[in-house]
Amino acid sequence: MPIPITQYNNEVKPTWCKGCGNYAIHIAIKKALGELDIAPNQTLITFDIGCSGNGADKINVNAFKGLHGRSIPLAIGSHLANRKITVLATIGDGGCLHEGLDHLIHAIRSNYDITILIHNNQNFALTTGQATATTLEGKEMYGLPDGRPEREINIGELVLSSKPSFFARGYSGDPLQLTDIFKAAIKHKGCSVVEIMQTCPTYNRESSLEWFTERIEKLEKPLLTINDARDTVLMHEKIKTGIIYTDNSIPTFYDRLENRKNSTTELIDEVKQYDISKLLEDFK
Amino acid sequence: MSESRLIIKFGGESGQGINTLGQILSKSIKESGFYNFAYREYPSLIKGGVASYQIDISDEQIASSSRYCNILSILSKDAIHDYLPSVSPNGVVIYNKEDLELSQEENNYIKENNITLISLDTIKMALEVQGIELMANMVLLGFIWKLLGLDTKPLEEIVRDTFKDKNVDLEAEIRCAMVGYNSNQIKNDVLKPITFKPKMKWKDSLNITGNEAVALGAISAGCRAFYAYPMTPATSIFKYLGDTYKKTGILIKQAENEITAAQLVMGSMNMGTRAMTATSGGGFDLMTETISCAGISETPMVIVLAQRVGAGTGVPTWTGAGDLSLALHGGHGEFPRCIMSVSNPQDAYTLTQEAFNIAETYQIPVILLTDKQIAESIFNIKDLPKPIDIERGISNGEYRYEITDSGISPRWIPSINNPTYLQTSDEHNITGESTEQSNDIVEMSDKRLRKVETLREQIREPEYFGSKNPDIVFVGYGSAGNTVGDTLKRHPDVGYLHYQYIYPLKYEKIIEIDGKGARIVLIENNQTGDFGKLIKQESGFEITERILKYDGRPLFLEDILNFLND
Ligand SMILES: Cc1ncc(C[n+]2csc(CCOP(=O)(O)OP(=O)(O)O)c2C)c(N)n1
Ligand code: SF4
Ligand SMILES: [Mg+2]
Repeated sequence: MPIPITQYNNEVKPTWCKGCGNYAIHIAIKKALGELDIAPNQTLITFDIGCSGNGADKINVNAFKGLHGRSIPLAIGSHLANRKITVLATIGDGGCLHEGLDHLIHAIRSNYDITILIHNNQNFALTTGQATATTLEGKEMYGLPDGRPEREINIGELVLSSKPSFFARGYSGDPLQLTDIFKAAIKHKGCSVVEIMQTCPTYNRESSLEWFTERIEKLEKPLLTINDARDTVLMHEKIKTGIIYTDNSIPTFYDRLENRKNSTTELIDEVKQYDISKLLEDFK
Repeated sequence: MSESRLIIKFGGESGQGINTLGQILSKSIKESGFYNFAYREYPSLIKGGVASYQIDISDEQIASSSRYCNILSILSKDAIHDYLPSVSPNGVVIYNKEDLELSQEENNYIKENNITLISLDTIKMALEVQGIELMANMVLLGFIWKLLGLDTKPLEEIVRDTFKDKNVDLEAEIRCAMVGYNSNQIKNDVLKPITFKPKMKWKDSLNITGNEAVALGAISAGCRAFYAYPMTPATSIFKYLGDTYKKTGILIKQAENEITAAQLVMGSMNMGTRAMTATSGGGFDLMTETISCAGISETPMVIVLAQRVGAGTGVPTWTGAGDLSLALHGGHGEFPRCIMSVSNPQDAYTLTQEAFNIAETYQIPVILLTDKQIAESIFNIKDLPKPIDIERGISNGEYRYEITDSGISPRWIPSINNPTYLQTSDEHNITGESTEQSNDIVEMSDKRLRKVETLREQIREPEYFGSKNPDIVFVGYGSAGNTVGDTLKRHPDVGYLHYQYIYPLKYEKIIEIDGKGARIVLIENNQTGDFGKLIKQESGFEITERILKYDGRPLFLEDILNFLND
């Protein structure tokens, strides 16, 4: 039985600008959880610092708003402690590609069973519009009157180069597709990375709804090879959305831990006093 | 009561098997019924450099090293120059003949101090009894054993035990030890027999490092995840927990860096398990943002800060205690925290368990300070103390960040049976909603800081040792305290006030001692007397007389004895 979306609501009013893509992303998260029958208290969302992170107290789930760039390791620590809770990490393109890029790469290669949602609005929005690694080369930005002098990072290319077990790209202008993507990402056993093309009418006017509508094309089904997936995410004229690549053959981090293979409990169930007298024999 | 010692030192290069040699000797001495304490010096490189392993044998339980040794065994050419000055009068130096090139000054030192040089071709001796070159160290071991005048049975047992699971020719190893023991080079006048009586009960005692005791404390306290990133001298906690993980079921994860390790701990503890990480100063720097986050979000955390000497990379494998200020102030903003300092395996075991109780009950980051001298030295102790009960401070309540007199708000474990749980590093109101209201900010900041006062009530007083009517009272913590403790055995007229809980600080005893007119001397293994500064800040009382040492070496027994004799 799906859980009604209202159960994930609370009284706190959102603080995003009019037309901000975060509204749709927020609703799509609630809808995806509800349709998967994952209750608010069975969910943990870690939030980063940024406009996306400002959603932390506006949703009724277990939540932890930590530090800039750190929502991914915070989510991993939480997940390892209790795998019965569905864990999502949300993070901006700034937090993900700048402050915490190492965490993204290692999360993918370790293949923890969590879902990472990257809100890509092509700027540091909360600090009022500085360039991030996804801001177009040469674009005039805060403090950069002659345009940003570096090349961009393509999130899809970066993620695929780390051999993910799940990569998808969604768009805040299509909350229904986004909901489906989130559902698949949550259900996927392993580290699911979703890049969300997020509109930011305040600091990224160029990437408007019209701009996206002209370019976005939905993929029918995931690409079969990582090379095809890479070619697809690298297309210039088109932005392909949908589930781009999956690989179910990669074991999760936890499943590879020899000493946890036969345990039926989670780490949170195991806090008690342990007798060390046997271990002490080795010191005699 | 006066503790006496007999001291053996091995000096050589990294990678020459000095550790194995030292460990076998130390264990065999224990097996023979004597107390000992083993201290290692080694360079931050894999092969070469100068390394040593020193064993102080005593008639009492000790926890410090002497600056001098009675028997020096040299395994590499260069080591003689580093360690000859540490040989005490009438001492013995054992070496390989072709290895020794002494300066005039060194020759004078040998003459003046009546030091005997014995050259021993251990490789040749090993080969003569069908051993292999690698077994030369066994010959040396047997030779030293003879000098000590000990029965060979315990030595043989330990050698067999050490190599039983290894792919070696055990009988050949024993033969090599025996050929050393029976060497005709041993003349009566060079014997250094242990003159004090063995305590045979001591055989069941433990040979254990501070790091192993921290790890055992964590295991005992129900720590279920350890997040690691290697950094000396914290790394061997990772090793022990990793090596035992099949028995304990503890989840081990080597993180991509210390930022991650700290975040993993915070995430795991927030969900309701117990987790820990351990690092040294440089790694701790990277953890400070997370400690600050744990402070404001009121998330329990336990971090071991194993100190070494120096800023930057410093001198990675040498000891020091210069990170107290870092532990106290690391992390932006103002928030409550607890800092404990261990000094030996017994309190490392207990304090690690208490760290978890306090972290969870008070919902704060707890920093467990230790240093290389504690972390890696091998202590010979009777037993570990009894485990302490687990306290978790889990309670229900309406509001996550409820304002309370104690400062402690309800904390519950996220679960299908509980209301949703909101943690945040934003300043927040009682529900966890982010706030910018002035009254909210003040109310919540005050609530958090009240936890320090509540905690101050609960923690133990510093412990006083020694004379009832002292002329001099030392004040210290960490490994420096161990050396003072051993000094008391020879100077029953002095006193020592030993701190385990550094912050919050209980300072009343210092004021009390000062009131009685004793000379108070601060002792720290650092350059600027961090702890003294904390005492002054908290109590207004300034300790003006100080022993500070910051050359990468621990406080040796003689450092304090000389101070007292001056
Ligand atoms: C350690 C640290 N550095 C810088 C900041 C300031 N800061 C807050 S939000 C932000 C940028 C956020 O950009 P992004 O992650 O893309 O999120 P968005 O606001 O665009 O959703 C920065 C740099 C911070 N909070 N912490
Ligand atoms: S600045 Fe951009 S990202 Fe932030 S709330 Fe406004 S529209 Fe959304
Ligand atoms: Mg952004």
